[in-house]
Amino acid sequence: MATTCTPSVGLAQTVGKGCGENAYKCYQCKKCTTGCPVAGYAGMHPAQIMRAVQLGQLDMVFDDKFIWLCTGCETCTTRCPQGIDIAAIMDELKIIARRDGRIPAGTPSAAMLKLNYDSFVRWGRMWEVELITLDVLKRPMSAKSWLALGPKMMLKGKINPTLKRGDTVAMKRMVATAESITRTRQNAYEAAAANAQKAKDAPAAKAKPAPKDGGAS
Amino acid sequence: MSKTLAYYPGCSLHGTSGEFDASFKATARALGLTLQEIPGWECCGNTAAHSINRLLAAALPVNELAKVEQDMKLDAVAVPCAACYSRFKTGAHEVEDDEQTASDVRAVVGRAYNGGVEVQNLIDVYHDAVGLDELAAKVTRPFAGLKIACYYGCLLTRPPKVTLADDPEYPMHMDEVVKALGCTPVDWNYKTDCCGAALALTEQQIVDDLVGRILTDAKACGADAVSVACPLCQVNLDGRQTEMMRGKSDWQPIPVVFLSQLVGRAIGLGDKELGLKKHLIDITAVMA
Repeated sequence: MATTCTPSVGLAQTVGKGCGENAYKCYQCKKCTTGCPVAGYAGMHPAQIMRAVQLGQLDMVFDDKFIWLCTGCETCTTRCPQGIDIAAIMDELKIIARRDGRIPAGTPSAAMLKLNYDSFVRWGRMWEVELITLDVLKRPMSAKSWLALGPKMMLKGKINPTLKRGDTVAMKRMVATAESITRTRQNAYEAAAANAQKAKDAPAAKAKPAPKDGGAS
Repeated sequence: MSKTLAYYPGCSLHGTSGEFDASFKATARALGLTLQEIPGWECCGNTAAHSINRLLAAALPVNELAKVEQDMKLDAVAVPCAACYSRFKTGAHEVEDDEQTASDVRAVVGRAYNGGVEVQNLIDVYHDAVGLDELAAKVTRPFAGLKIACYYGCLLTRPPKVTLADDPEYPMHMDEVVKALGCTPVDWNYKTDCCGAALALTEQQIVDDLVGRILTDAKACGADAVSVACPLCQVNLDGRQTEMMRGKSDWQPIPVVFLSQLVGRAIGLGDKELGLKKHLIDITAVMA
Protein backbone atom coordinates (compact mmCIF):
# COMPACT_ATOMS: atom_id res chain seq x y z
CA MET A 1 0.00 0.00 0.00
CA ALA A 2 1.20 3.51 -0.80
CA THR A 3 2.54 5.53 2.09
CA THR A 4 2.91 8.87 0.33
CA CYS A 5 0.08 11.12 -0.77
CA THR A 6 0.12 13.16 -3.96
CA PRO A 7 -3.43 14.31 -4.63
CA SER A 8 -4.49 15.40 -8.10
CA VAL A 9 -7.84 17.09 -8.58
CA GLY A 10 -7.66 16.20 -12.26
CA LEU A 11 -7.06 12.43 -12.25
CA ALA A 12 -10.69 11.37 -12.75
CA GLN A 13 -11.08 14.09 -15.42
CA THR A 14 -7.93 12.98 -17.23
CA VAL A 15 -9.14 9.38 -17.16
CA GLY A 16 -12.56 10.48 -18.43
CA LYS A 17 -11.01 12.54 -21.20
CA GLY A 18 -8.94 9.58 -22.36
CA CYS A 19 -11.49 6.76 -22.27
CA GLY A 20 -14.87 8.47 -21.90
CA GLU A 21 -15.69 6.79 -18.58
CA ASN A 22 -16.96 8.60 -15.48
CA ALA A 23 -15.18 7.20 -12.42
CA TYR A 24 -17.42 9.24 -10.09
CA LYS A 25 -20.34 6.92 -10.84
CA CYS A 26 -18.69 4.21 -8.72
CA TYR A 27 -20.42 3.72 -5.33
CA GLN A 28 -18.12 1.01 -4.01
CA CYS A 29 -20.36 -2.07 -4.24
CA LYS A 30 -17.15 -4.04 -4.97
CA LYS A 31 -18.67 -6.40 -7.52
CA CYS A 32 -15.61 -5.65 -9.69
CA THR A 33 -13.27 -6.82 -6.96
CA THR A 34 -15.32 -9.93 -6.18
CA GLY A 35 -15.10 -11.15 -9.77
CA CYS A 36 -11.53 -10.02 -10.47
CA PRO A 37 -9.16 -12.96 -11.11
CA VAL A 38 -6.08 -11.01 -9.93
CA ALA A 39 -7.59 -8.95 -7.06
CA GLY A 40 -5.64 -10.86 -4.42
CA TYR A 41 -2.23 -10.51 -6.01
CA ALA A 42 -1.46 -6.80 -5.47
CA GLY A 43 -1.78 -4.21 -2.72
CA MET A 44 -4.85 -2.64 -4.32
CA HIS A 45 -7.99 -4.18 -5.83
CA PRO A 46 -10.28 -2.73 -8.53
CA ALA A 47 -12.78 -0.99 -6.19
CA GLN A 48 -9.89 0.63 -4.30
CA ILE A 49 -8.38 1.81 -7.59
CA MET A 50 -11.75 3.36 -8.50
CA ARG A 51 -11.90 5.17 -5.15
CA ALA A 52 -8.32 6.39 -5.49
CA VAL A 53 -9.13 7.74 -8.97
CA GLN A 54 -12.14 9.62 -7.60
CA LEU A 55 -9.99 11.15 -4.85
CA GLY A 56 -7.07 11.87 -7.17
CA GLN A 57 -4.68 9.69 -5.14
CA LEU A 58 -1.91 9.30 -7.70
CA ASP A 59 0.50 7.36 -5.47
CA MET A 60 -2.11 4.80 -4.42
CA VAL A 61 -2.89 4.11 -8.08
CA PHE A 62 0.55 4.27 -9.62
CA ASP A 63 2.88 2.93 -6.90
CA ASP A 64 0.92 -0.33 -6.75
CA LYS A 65 1.29 -3.04 -9.38
CA PHE A 66 -2.44 -3.84 -9.64
CA ILE A 67 -3.13 -2.08 -12.94
CA TRP A 68 -0.27 -4.03 -14.51
CA LEU A 69 -1.75 -7.36 -13.40
CA CYS A 70 -5.15 -6.57 -14.96
CA THR A 71 -5.58 -9.11 -17.76
CA GLY A 72 -8.42 -7.19 -19.44
CA CYS A 73 -10.82 -10.10 -18.84
CA GLU A 74 -13.72 -7.60 -18.74
CA THR A 75 -15.51 -9.29 -15.83
CA CYS A 76 -15.66 -5.99 -13.88
CA THR A 77 -17.01 -4.14 -16.92
CA THR A 78 -19.64 -6.83 -17.49
CA ARG A 79 -20.88 -6.86 -13.88
CA CYS A 80 -20.67 -3.17 -12.85
CA PRO A 81 -24.23 -2.11 -11.83
CA GLN A 82 -23.37 1.47 -12.81
CA GLY A 83 -22.32 0.42 -16.31
CA ILE A 84 -18.78 1.74 -15.87
CA ASP A 85 -16.27 0.23 -18.28
CA ILE A 86 -13.77 -0.43 -15.49
CA ALA A 87 -11.40 -2.41 -17.72
CA ALA A 88 -11.18 0.66 -19.99
CA ILE A 89 -10.26 2.76 -16.95
CA MET A 90 -7.49 0.28 -16.07
CA ASP A 91 -6.20 0.61 -19.66
CA GLU A 92 -6.32 4.41 -19.41
CA LEU A 93 -4.37 4.30 -16.14
CA LYS A 94 -1.71 2.19 -17.87
CA ILE A 95 -1.55 4.78 -20.66
CA ILE A 96 -1.21 7.64 -18.14
CA ALA A 97 1.40 5.76 -16.08
CA ARG A 98 3.52 5.14 -19.16
CA ARG A 99 3.15 8.74 -20.37
CA ASP A 100 4.03 10.22 -16.97
CA GLY A 101 6.88 7.81 -16.22
CA ARG A 102 5.07 6.22 -13.26
CA ILE A 103 5.61 2.50 -13.91
CA PRO A 104 6.81 0.99 -10.61
CA ALA A 105 9.84 -1.30 -10.39
CA GLY A 106 9.11 -5.02 -10.44
CA THR A 107 6.34 -5.00 -13.06
CA PRO A 108 7.64 -7.11 -15.95
CA SER A 109 4.14 -7.09 -17.45
CA ALA A 110 4.50 -3.39 -18.25
CA ALA A 111 7.75 -4.02 -20.12
CA MET A 112 6.21 -7.02 -21.90
CA LEU A 113 3.34 -4.90 -23.24
CA LYS A 114 5.86 -2.49 -24.76
CA LEU A 115 7.93 -5.35 -26.29
CA ASN A 116 4.72 -6.67 -27.77
CA TYR A 117 3.70 -3.26 -29.17
CA ASP A 118 7.17 -2.66 -30.65
CA SER A 119 7.14 -6.12 -32.21
CA PHE A 120 3.96 -5.67 -34.22
CA VAL A 121 4.87 -2.10 -35.11
CA ARG A 122 8.22 -3.35 -36.45
CA TRP A 123 6.99 -6.36 -38.42
CA GLY A 124 3.32 -5.69 -38.98
CA ARG A 125 2.65 -8.78 -36.89
CA MET A 126 3.56 -9.81 -33.38
CA TRP A 127 6.51 -12.21 -33.41
CA GLU A 128 6.27 -14.46 -30.35
CA VAL A 129 9.88 -15.69 -30.52
CA GLU A 130 11.19 -12.12 -30.50
CA LEU A 131 9.12 -11.24 -27.42
CA ILE A 132 10.48 -14.12 -25.41
CA THR A 133 14.09 -13.55 -26.53
CA LEU A 134 14.04 -9.85 -25.67
CA ASP A 135 12.32 -10.58 -22.35
CA VAL A 136 15.03 -13.08 -21.39
CA LEU A 137 17.74 -10.57 -22.35
CA LYS A 138 16.04 -7.92 -20.19
CA ARG A 139 15.57 -10.10 -17.13
CA PRO A 140 17.65 -13.26 -17.36
CA MET A 141 15.82 -14.80 -14.39
CA SER A 142 12.73 -15.20 -16.59
CA ALA A 143 14.69 -17.75 -18.65
CA LYS A 144 14.12 -20.22 -15.81
CA SER A 145 10.43 -20.53 -16.59
CA TRP A 146 11.12 -20.91 -20.31
CA LEU A 147 13.71 -23.62 -19.73
CA ALA A 148 10.92 -25.78 -18.36
CA LEU A 149 8.25 -25.17 -20.99
CA GLY A 150 10.11 -23.84 -24.05
CA PRO A 151 11.94 -27.02 -25.14
CA LYS A 152 8.79 -29.13 -24.65
CA MET A 153 6.82 -26.77 -26.87
CA MET A 154 9.61 -26.75 -29.42
CA LEU A 155 9.71 -30.55 -29.56
CA LYS A 156 5.99 -30.58 -30.30
CA GLY A 157 6.51 -28.08 -33.10
CA LYS A 158 4.46 -25.50 -31.17
CA ILE A 159 7.06 -22.77 -31.55
CA ASN A 160 7.37 -21.42 -35.04
CA PRO A 161 10.64 -19.49 -35.20
CA THR A 162 10.11 -18.00 -38.66
CA LEU A 163 9.12 -14.37 -38.97
CA LYS A 164 5.99 -13.67 -40.98
CA ARG A 165 5.53 -10.04 -41.84
CA GLY A 166 2.32 -8.14 -42.38
CA ASP A 167 2.06 -5.02 -44.56
CA THR A 168 4.80 -3.15 -42.69
CA VAL A 169 4.48 0.05 -44.74
CA ALA A 170 0.77 0.38 -43.94
CA MET A 171 1.44 -0.50 -40.29
CA LYS A 172 4.09 2.21 -39.88
CA ARG A 173 1.84 4.79 -41.53
CA MET A 174 -1.09 3.93 -39.24
CA VAL A 175 1.07 3.95 -36.11
CA ALA A 176 2.59 7.35 -37.01
CA THR A 177 -0.85 8.89 -37.68
CA ALA A 178 -2.43 7.42 -34.54
CA GLU A 179 0.44 8.55 -32.31
CA SER A 180 0.42 12.03 -33.85
CA ILE A 181 -3.35 12.50 -33.40
CA THR A 182 -3.12 11.21 -29.82
CA ARG A 183 -0.24 13.61 -29.03
CA THR A 184 -2.03 16.62 -30.55
CA ARG A 185 -5.18 15.92 -28.51
CA GLN A 186 -3.16 15.41 -25.32
CA ASN A 187 -1.27 18.70 -25.81
CA ALA A 188 -4.54 20.56 -26.41
CA TYR A 189 -6.06 19.00 -23.27
CA GLU A 190 -3.06 19.92 -21.13
CA ALA A 191 -3.01 23.50 -22.47
CA ALA A 192 -6.75 23.92 -21.78
CA ALA A 193 -6.36 22.51 -18.26
CA ALA A 194 -3.43 24.86 -17.55
CA ASN A 195 -5.43 27.86 -18.82
CA ALA A 196 -8.45 26.92 -16.71
CA GLN A 197 -6.21 26.64 -13.66
CA LYS A 198 -4.66 30.05 -14.39
CA ALA A 199 -8.09 31.65 -14.76
CA LYS A 200 -9.15 30.11 -11.45
CA ASP A 201 -6.04 31.28 -9.61
CA ALA A 202 -5.95 34.82 -11.02
CA PRO A 203 -8.94 36.49 -9.27
CA ALA A 204 -8.15 34.69 -6.00
CA ALA A 205 -4.60 36.00 -6.02
CA LYS A 206 -5.87 39.53 -6.64
CA ALA A 207 -8.45 39.37 -3.84
CA LYS A 208 -6.06 38.38 -1.04
CA PRO A 209 -2.52 37.09 -0.79
CA ALA A 210 -2.12 33.38 -0.14
CA PRO A 211 -1.67 32.45 3.54
CA LYS A 212 1.91 31.71 4.53
CA ASP A 213 1.39 27.95 4.99
CA GLY A 214 -0.96 27.79 1.99
CA GLY A 215 0.76 25.20 -0.21
CA ALA A 216 2.41 23.12 2.49
CA SER A 217 1.29 19.58 3.07
CA MET B 1 -25.66 -16.41 -45.05
CA SER B 2 -22.77 -16.16 -47.39
CA LYS B 3 -20.77 -19.36 -47.76
CA THR B 4 -17.56 -17.50 -48.58
CA LEU B 5 -15.94 -15.96 -45.54
CA ALA B 6 -12.92 -13.72 -45.28
CA TYR B 7 -10.37 -15.28 -42.95
CA TYR B 8 -8.20 -13.49 -40.39
CA PRO B 9 -5.85 -16.03 -38.73
CA GLY B 10 -3.94 -13.62 -36.47
CA CYS B 11 -0.39 -13.93 -35.14
CA SER B 12 -0.90 -16.86 -32.73
CA LEU B 13 -2.41 -19.15 -35.36
CA HIS B 14 0.68 -18.55 -37.47
CA GLY B 15 2.91 -19.03 -34.39
CA THR B 16 2.35 -21.24 -31.35
CA SER B 17 -1.06 -22.52 -32.43
CA GLY B 18 -0.49 -23.89 -35.91
CA GLU B 19 -2.83 -26.81 -35.18
CA PHE B 20 -5.66 -24.37 -34.51
CA ASP B 21 -5.14 -22.77 -37.94
CA ALA B 22 -4.85 -26.16 -39.67
CA SER B 23 -7.85 -27.75 -37.97
CA PHE B 24 -10.04 -24.68 -38.48
CA LYS B 25 -9.25 -24.49 -42.20
CA ALA B 26 -9.73 -28.24 -42.69
CA THR B 27 -13.14 -28.25 -40.99
CA ALA B 28 -14.31 -25.15 -42.84
CA ARG B 29 -13.42 -26.74 -46.17
CA ALA B 30 -15.13 -30.02 -45.26
CA LEU B 31 -18.24 -28.17 -44.11
CA GLY B 32 -18.63 -26.36 -47.43
CA LEU B 33 -17.22 -22.96 -46.49
CA THR B 34 -14.69 -21.13 -48.63
CA LEU B 35 -12.15 -19.13 -46.63
CA GLN B 36 -10.29 -16.23 -48.24
CA GLU B 37 -7.38 -15.04 -46.13
CA ILE B 38 -7.17 -11.23 -45.95
CA PRO B 39 -4.15 -10.30 -48.13
CA GLY B 40 -1.27 -8.70 -46.20
CA TRP B 41 -3.19 -8.79 -42.92
CA GLU B 42 -1.70 -7.07 -39.92
CA CYS B 43 -1.70 -7.68 -36.18
CA CYS B 44 -5.02 -6.66 -34.55
CA GLY B 45 -3.04 -4.81 -31.87
CA ASN B 46 -3.73 -7.52 -29.28
CA THR B 47 -3.47 -6.76 -25.56
CA ALA B 48 -0.72 -4.21 -26.03
CA ALA B 49 -2.34 -1.62 -28.28
CA HIS B 50 -5.36 -0.86 -26.09
CA SER B 51 -3.13 -0.19 -23.09
CA ILE B 52 -0.65 1.96 -25.02
CA ASN B 53 -2.54 3.80 -27.78
CA ARG B 54 -6.32 3.62 -27.71
CA LEU B 55 -6.77 5.07 -31.20
CA LEU B 56 -4.39 2.59 -32.83
CA ALA B 57 -6.18 -0.25 -31.01
CA ALA B 58 -9.45 0.74 -32.69
CA ALA B 59 -7.88 1.48 -36.08
CA LEU B 60 -5.94 -1.77 -36.66
CA PRO B 61 -8.95 -4.13 -36.70
CA VAL B 62 -11.11 -1.57 -38.52
CA ASN B 63 -8.44 -1.40 -41.24
CA GLU B 64 -8.85 -5.16 -41.75
CA LEU B 65 -12.64 -4.82 -41.78
CA ALA B 66 -12.39 -2.10 -44.44
CA LYS B 67 -10.29 -4.46 -46.58
CA VAL B 68 -12.90 -7.20 -46.25
CA GLU B 69 -15.74 -4.80 -47.05
CA GLN B 70 -14.19 -2.78 -49.89
CA ASP B 71 -11.33 -4.82 -51.40
CA MET B 72 -12.64 -8.36 -50.93
CA LYS B 73 -16.32 -7.35 -51.14
CA LEU B 74 -17.35 -9.92 -48.55
CA ASP B 75 -19.89 -9.48 -45.77
CA ALA B 76 -18.43 -11.73 -43.07
CA VAL B 77 -15.00 -12.52 -41.62
CA ALA B 78 -14.05 -15.57 -39.56
CA VAL B 79 -11.73 -14.68 -36.66
CA PRO B 80 -11.08 -17.91 -34.74
CA CYS B 81 -8.66 -16.38 -32.20
CA ALA B 82 -10.77 -15.11 -29.29
CA ALA B 83 -8.46 -12.16 -28.60
CA CYS B 84 -8.43 -11.00 -32.24
CA TYR B 85 -12.21 -11.51 -32.36
CA SER B 86 -12.59 -9.24 -29.35
CA ARG B 87 -10.42 -6.52 -30.93
CA PHE B 88 -12.44 -6.71 -34.19
CA LYS B 89 -15.78 -6.47 -32.38
CA THR B 90 -14.53 -3.67 -30.13
CA GLY B 91 -13.09 -1.66 -33.02
CA ALA B 92 -16.31 -1.99 -35.01
CA HIS B 93 -18.35 -1.05 -31.92
CA GLU B 94 -16.24 2.03 -31.16
CA VAL B 95 -16.48 3.54 -34.65
CA GLU B 96 -20.21 2.93 -34.68
CA ASP B 97 -20.71 4.27 -31.17
CA ASP B 98 -18.63 7.45 -31.16
CA GLU B 99 -18.40 10.16 -33.84
CA GLN B 100 -14.99 11.44 -32.73
CA THR B 101 -13.44 7.95 -32.66
CA ALA B 102 -14.94 7.23 -36.08
CA SER B 103 -13.37 10.34 -37.59
CA ASP B 104 -9.97 9.70 -35.95
CA VAL B 105 -9.99 6.07 -37.07
CA ARG B 106 -10.89 7.20 -40.59
CA ALA B 107 -7.81 9.45 -40.57
CA VAL B 108 -5.54 6.60 -39.43
CA VAL B 109 -6.95 3.95 -41.77
CA GLY B 110 -7.21 6.33 -44.72
CA ARG B 111 -10.79 5.42 -45.58
CA ALA B 112 -14.15 4.88 -43.94
CA TYR B 113 -15.48 1.52 -42.85
CA ASN B 114 -19.24 1.33 -43.33
CA GLY B 115 -20.06 -1.45 -40.90
CA GLY B 116 -20.91 -4.01 -43.56
CA VAL B 117 -18.94 -6.97 -42.19
CA GLU B 118 -20.14 -9.49 -39.65
CA VAL B 119 -17.35 -10.70 -37.35
CA GLN B 120 -17.63 -14.39 -36.47
CA ASN B 121 -15.67 -16.26 -33.82
CA LEU B 122 -14.96 -19.99 -33.97
CA ILE B 123 -18.22 -20.93 -32.26
CA ASP B 124 -20.26 -18.61 -34.50
CA VAL B 125 -18.83 -20.29 -37.60
CA TYR B 126 -20.04 -23.75 -36.56
CA HIS B 127 -23.18 -22.63 -34.74
CA ASP B 128 -24.43 -20.03 -37.24
CA ALA B 129 -22.50 -19.96 -40.55
CA VAL B 130 -22.71 -23.76 -40.86
CA GLY B 131 -25.66 -24.33 -38.53
CA LEU B 132 -26.27 -27.06 -35.97
CA ASP B 133 -28.48 -29.24 -38.20
CA GLU B 134 -26.09 -29.03 -41.14
CA LEU B 135 -23.16 -29.82 -38.82
CA ALA B 136 -24.94 -32.82 -37.27
CA ALA B 137 -25.73 -34.10 -40.77
CA LYS B 138 -22.00 -34.05 -41.65
CA VAL B 139 -20.98 -36.08 -38.58
CA THR B 140 -19.69 -39.49 -39.65
CA ARG B 141 -17.74 -40.51 -36.55
CA PRO B 142 -19.81 -39.24 -33.61
CA PHE B 143 -18.22 -39.24 -30.15
CA ALA B 144 -19.75 -41.79 -27.79
CA GLY B 145 -20.82 -39.28 -25.18
CA LEU B 146 -17.32 -37.94 -24.41
CA LYS B 147 -17.80 -35.54 -21.49
CA ILE B 148 -16.62 -32.06 -22.43
CA ALA B 149 -16.20 -28.95 -20.28
CA CYS B 150 -16.77 -26.09 -22.73
CA TYR B 151 -14.38 -23.31 -21.76
CA TYR B 152 -15.26 -19.93 -23.28
CA GLY B 153 -12.78 -17.83 -21.32
CA CYS B 154 -13.10 -14.06 -21.29
CA LEU B 155 -13.35 -12.48 -24.66
CA LEU B 156 -15.85 -14.62 -26.58
CA THR B 157 -18.64 -13.28 -24.40
CA ARG B 158 -17.38 -10.15 -22.63
CA PRO B 159 -18.18 -7.33 -22.61
CA PRO B 160 -21.72 -8.18 -23.77
CA LYS B 161 -22.35 -4.65 -25.14
CA VAL B 162 -19.68 -5.49 -27.71
CA THR B 163 -20.03 -9.25 -28.26
CA LEU B 164 -23.85 -9.43 -27.94
CA ALA B 165 -23.29 -12.90 -26.42
CA ASP B 166 -26.31 -15.07 -25.64
CA ASP B 167 -25.43 -15.12 -21.94
CA PRO B 168 -22.08 -13.62 -20.90
CA GLU B 169 -21.98 -15.51 -17.58
CA TYR B 170 -23.21 -18.90 -18.74
CA PRO B 171 -23.02 -19.16 -22.54
CA MET B 172 -24.33 -22.28 -24.30
CA HIS B 173 -23.42 -22.05 -28.00
CA MET B 174 -20.23 -24.13 -27.72
CA ASP B 175 -22.12 -26.67 -25.60
CA GLU B 176 -24.69 -26.96 -28.39
CA VAL B 177 -21.97 -27.48 -31.00
CA VAL B 178 -20.22 -30.30 -29.07
CA LYS B 179 -23.60 -31.92 -28.44
CA ALA B 180 -24.16 -32.06 -32.20
CA LEU B 181 -20.89 -34.03 -32.41
CA GLY B 182 -22.08 -36.70 -29.97
CA CYS B 183 -20.27 -35.28 -26.93
CA THR B 184 -21.93 -34.66 -23.58
CA PRO B 185 -21.28 -31.09 -22.38
CA VAL B 186 -20.92 -30.93 -18.58
CA ASP B 187 -22.51 -28.34 -16.33
CA TRP B 188 -19.61 -26.59 -14.59
CA ASN B 189 -18.61 -23.38 -12.87
CA TYR B 190 -15.58 -21.91 -14.65
CA LYS B 191 -16.88 -21.54 -18.22
CA THR B 192 -16.04 -17.85 -18.44
CA ASP B 193 -13.32 -17.39 -15.81
CA CYS B 194 -9.99 -15.90 -16.87
CA CYS B 195 -6.97 -18.22 -17.37
CA GLY B 196 -4.52 -15.37 -16.77
CA ALA B 197 -3.93 -14.75 -20.47
CA ALA B 198 -0.63 -12.99 -21.27
CA LEU B 199 0.43 -13.04 -17.60
CA ALA B 200 1.80 -16.49 -18.52
CA LEU B 201 4.82 -14.60 -19.87
CA THR B 202 5.50 -12.61 -16.71
CA GLU B 203 3.52 -13.87 -13.69
CA GLN B 204 3.53 -17.66 -13.96
CA GLN B 205 2.42 -18.24 -10.36
CA ILE B 206 -0.84 -16.34 -10.90
CA VAL B 207 -1.55 -18.27 -14.09
CA ASP B 208 -0.83 -21.59 -12.35
CA ASP B 209 -3.35 -20.68 -9.62
CA LEU B 210 -6.06 -19.66 -12.11
CA VAL B 211 -5.48 -22.62 -14.43
CA GLY B 212 -5.46 -24.99 -11.45
CA ARG B 213 -8.83 -23.70 -10.25
CA ILE B 214 -10.42 -23.96 -13.70
CA LEU B 215 -9.20 -27.49 -14.40
CA THR B 216 -9.92 -28.78 -10.89
CA ASP B 217 -13.56 -27.74 -11.34
CA ALA B 218 -13.74 -29.26 -14.84
CA LYS B 219 -12.53 -32.58 -13.44
CA ALA B 220 -14.79 -32.38 -10.37
CA CYS B 221 -17.77 -31.88 -12.68
CA GLY B 222 -16.89 -35.06 -14.55
CA ALA B 223 -15.25 -33.77 -17.72
CA ASP B 224 -12.95 -36.05 -19.75
CA ALA B 225 -11.53 -33.10 -21.70
CA VAL B 226 -11.79 -29.32 -21.96
CA SER B 227 -12.77 -27.68 -25.25
CA VAL B 228 -11.39 -24.22 -26.03
CA ALA B 229 -11.76 -21.61 -28.76
CA CYS B 230 -8.76 -19.39 -27.97
CA PRO B 231 -5.05 -20.05 -28.65
CA LEU B 232 -3.85 -18.41 -25.44
CA CYS B 233 -6.37 -20.33 -23.28
CA GLN B 234 -5.15 -23.52 -24.94
CA VAL B 235 -1.45 -22.77 -24.33
CA ASN B 236 -2.14 -21.85 -20.70
CA LEU B 237 -4.49 -24.72 -19.81
CA ASP B 238 -2.32 -27.26 -21.64
CA GLY B 239 1.18 -25.93 -20.96
CA ARG B 240 0.86 -24.92 -17.32
CA GLN B 241 -0.42 -28.41 -16.44
CA THR B 242 2.99 -29.86 -17.21
CA GLU B 243 4.45 -27.42 -14.67
CA MET B 244 1.76 -28.25 -12.12
CA MET B 245 2.53 -31.94 -12.47
CA ARG B 246 6.09 -31.21 -11.35
CA GLY B 247 4.88 -29.32 -8.29
CA LYS B 248 1.93 -31.51 -7.37
CA SER B 249 2.83 -35.06 -8.25
CA ASP B 250 -0.77 -36.25 -7.75
CA TRP B 251 -2.12 -33.90 -10.45
CA GLN B 252 -4.05 -35.97 -12.98
CA PRO B 253 -3.77 -34.23 -16.35
CA ILE B 254 -6.85 -33.43 -18.41
CA PRO B 255 -6.60 -32.96 -22.20
CA VAL B 256 -7.31 -29.51 -23.63
CA VAL B 257 -8.55 -29.61 -27.22
CA PHE B 258 -9.59 -26.97 -29.72
CA LEU B 259 -13.26 -27.04 -30.66
CA SER B 260 -12.12 -27.23 -34.29
CA GLN B 261 -10.30 -30.49 -33.52
CA LEU B 262 -13.44 -32.01 -31.99
CA VAL B 263 -15.46 -30.96 -35.03
CA GLY B 264 -12.80 -32.33 -37.40
CA ARG B 265 -12.62 -35.70 -35.63
CA ALA B 266 -16.42 -36.06 -35.71
CA ILE B 267 -16.71 -35.27 -39.42
CA GLY B 268 -14.00 -37.82 -40.21
CA LEU B 269 -10.87 -35.75 -40.82
CA GLY B 270 -7.41 -37.28 -40.25
CA ASP B 271 -5.29 -36.89 -37.12
CA LYS B 272 -2.50 -35.18 -39.01
CA GLU B 273 -4.55 -32.38 -40.54
CA LEU B 274 -6.05 -31.73 -37.10
CA GLY B 275 -2.61 -31.55 -35.42
CA LEU B 276 -3.58 -33.96 -32.66
CA LYS B 277 0.05 -34.66 -31.74
CA LYS B 278 0.94 -31.04 -31.01
CA HIS B 279 -0.37 -30.85 -27.46
CA LEU B 280 1.76 -31.20 -24.34
CA ILE B 281 -0.93 -33.19 -22.51
CA ASP B 282 -1.74 -36.11 -24.81
CA ILE B 283 -5.16 -35.78 -26.44
CA THR B 284 -5.01 -38.78 -28.76
CA ALA B 285 -6.77 -41.09 -26.27
CA VAL B 286 -9.89 -38.92 -25.99
CA MET B 287 -9.85 -38.25 -29.74
CA ALA B 288 -9.51 -41.94 -30.70
